[in-house]
Amino acid sequence: MADATANSPRRHGSLTTTDPRTKRRNAAEARFRAYGIAAIGLGLFFLVVLATSIIRSGVPAFTTTVVSLEMNVSQAEYDEAESGMLKTAAYTKLFITKLGAQLREAGIGDDVQDDAIERIMGKVGSDMRSFYQENPDSIGETVTFTLNASSRVDGYFKGRVNRETLVDSRFLVATDLDVVDALTEAGIITRQFDWGFLTGKDAGVDNPGGAGIGASVIGSFFMMLVVLVLSLPIGVAASIYLEEFAPKNRWTDIIEVNISNLAAVPSIVFGILGLAVFIQFAGLPQSAPLVGGLVLTLMTLPTIIISTRASLKAVPPSIRDAALGVGASKMQAVFHHVLPLAAPGILTGTIIGLAQALGETAPLLLIGMVGFVAREYPGGFIEGFVEPNSAMPAQIYTWAARSDVAFYEKAWGGIIVLLVFLLIMNAIAIVLRRRFERRW
Amino acid sequence: MNDMRPLERIVDTDNIKISAKGCQVYYGDTHAIKDVDVQIEDKTVTAFIGPSGCGKSTFLRCLNRMNDTIDICRIEGEILLDGENIYDKKVDPVQLRAKVGMVFQKPNPFPKSIYDNVAYGPRIHGLAKNKADLDVIVEKSLRRGAIWDEVKDRLDAPGTGLSGGQQQRLCIARAVATEPEVLLMDEPCSALDPIATGQVEELIDELRSQYSVVIVTHSMQQAARVSQKTAFFHLGNLVEFGETGQIFTKPEDPRTESYISGKIG
Repeated sequence: MADATANSPRRHGSLTTTDPRTKRRNAAEARFRAYGIAAIGLGLFFLVVLATSIIRSGVPAFTTTVVSLEMNVSQAEYDEAESGMLKTAAYTKLFITKLGAQLREAGIGDDVQDDAIERIMGKVGSDMRSFYQENPDSIGETVTFTLNASSRVDGYFKGRVNRETLVDSRFLVATDLDVVDALTEAGIITRQFDWGFLTGKDAGVDNPGGAGIGASVIGSFFMMLVVLVLSLPIGVAASIYLEEFAPKNRWTDIIEVNISNLAAVPSIVFGILGLAVFIQFAGLPQSAPLVGGLVLTLMTLPTIIISTRASLKAVPPSIRDAALGVGASKMQAVFHHVLPLAAPGILTGTIIGLAQALGETAPLLLIGMVGFVAREYPGGFIEGFVEPNSAMPAQIYTWAARSDVAFYEKAWGGIIVLLVFLLIMNAIAIVLRRRFERRW
Repeated sequence: MNDMRPLERIVDTDNIKISAKGCQVYYGDTHAIKDVDVQIEDKTVTAFIGPSGCGKSTFLRCLNRMNDTIDICRIEGEILLDGENIYDKKVDPVQLRAKVGMVFQKPNPFPKSIYDNVAYGPRIHGLAKNKADLDVIVEKSLRRGAIWDEVKDRLDAPGTGLSGGQQQRLCIARAVATEPEVLLMDEPCSALDPIATGQVEELIDELRSQYSVVIVTHSMQQAARVSQKTAFFHLGNLVEFGETGQIFTKPEDPRTESYISGKIG
């Protein structure tokens, strides 16, 4: 073999042996692939860690601990409760007395004190009162109440609270947990899926069990409506003008550079702009989804303009030539041929811009959507825009900032809801893209 | 173009369709077309030949003002279509392009059905009163494009699904559907195989009976086969213009001769 190589006039070695240079090149390629796989692996690892921690912390927010009780409030008891100064306290008292009586009747814990029941139940009076205010016919009839237990009892079932942590607590004492166990055995205390979390409104700092994300979902919905209605037409019209009609000169260059820069401006800057212009100057209401939507529109516009221009650029010029060649005007060429071909890209860009806006918190801090406790649903469609409300990310921020651990759990639950909405929007983007994509 | 004197509306013969006088084209600082005078006859195929970058396509695109879409392009001199300057301020390029149709180098059907491809021009120009009229126009145009028999059963199929040669004939059908008077063709066969080229060339010869056809081509054989008049462009100058037979057998200019014999270009 060696002899043959030495004798032959060929300049390269045998193909079956790799020379050192090739070996080095192959090694470099193998290293590069390994780096790539490692990077992807690391990314996936963090994704899994993030997803599991969100699910672990957030899923408990979707269940709640409830006390179910059949009871009968007579007209006399109702009148007595309504005549007092502290009406909800009177209802709470009524409930506790009736529950205590039933317990003793059933033979569970003869020694259970009414104040223990009060600690377990929390403030049930207001729920009861509003029920009887809305359904006066039910007075004197047997009604099954399913009411939230106090957040500490809920925490006991979710592992946040145990007998050791309750040593110094005055809200719930260790012996109360024995009562809770007994009530659970009797089927009076149960855990169930908390629809109230998805549909409910925010509650005060002392009532985490009653807090829901529903009102802020509505707030986000109205904000996104404003963003969509304003930013899509403005953004698409601006990009069509810039891409297809505007002369290419110094001014359009300046505008182009500024739009790209605008996309990189921190969102809090848009927030303070919104505060100054929309609230202080224009006098629009604070904390209103309308203002939030306007601010997020400013933020989303550059994203939509950039993606729309990119998809307009991607339409082959031969299509424009073809349309102009048969005598279409420039506008006909754009609207009949270029725009339909660019539509999938425009839609995708718009939905991604909306998804970004949906998750944006910083600008909402400045226009007052955070300090506000969204206790009420908007009264109607128009009110949905102008009445103070919160938005999903702002609600999550508010909950995370509250001291009660139960709210912390709600914040994680809110993040799951937000992520589900984002996933839905991205899925819509993919479906629309597939559906409208045409080949040329 | 800046000359606002009344136009001289003297046309030598009825036969002259397009007449360019002192036409200059600039791309920014580049002088792409230098002082071109040419007279294109009706019902004739005129071929523009010349090496790459000589300006023949640029000049062709001047004839229906497709160069208007290029910002840096500037045109001087005048181009008369039936005695009217197409660069006159009063002329709307959209109306001009309905009269002067164009077929491009790469087949570029719209990503729509075959029917809609052809019907688009008549629709935007309001040539058909109703669907039946439009059907007639579409069929007539596809017949003129020599593609009717191949597509009559699948008019709803996308135009982009046809073969390259069929696409180009569809584009020709689309161009003739607006009833133009002049048909400009920018290297219509350069993306086609020899069989499709043969079909398109045959079609061009048929179109001559109704239109004035101007074709830019890289292939001298093609120019010789399809055209009656040939113009040779070199470095932005119109070097020689005359009967095709005479250009290819007894060229007057030495540059034409060396291009035709393969020495330059």
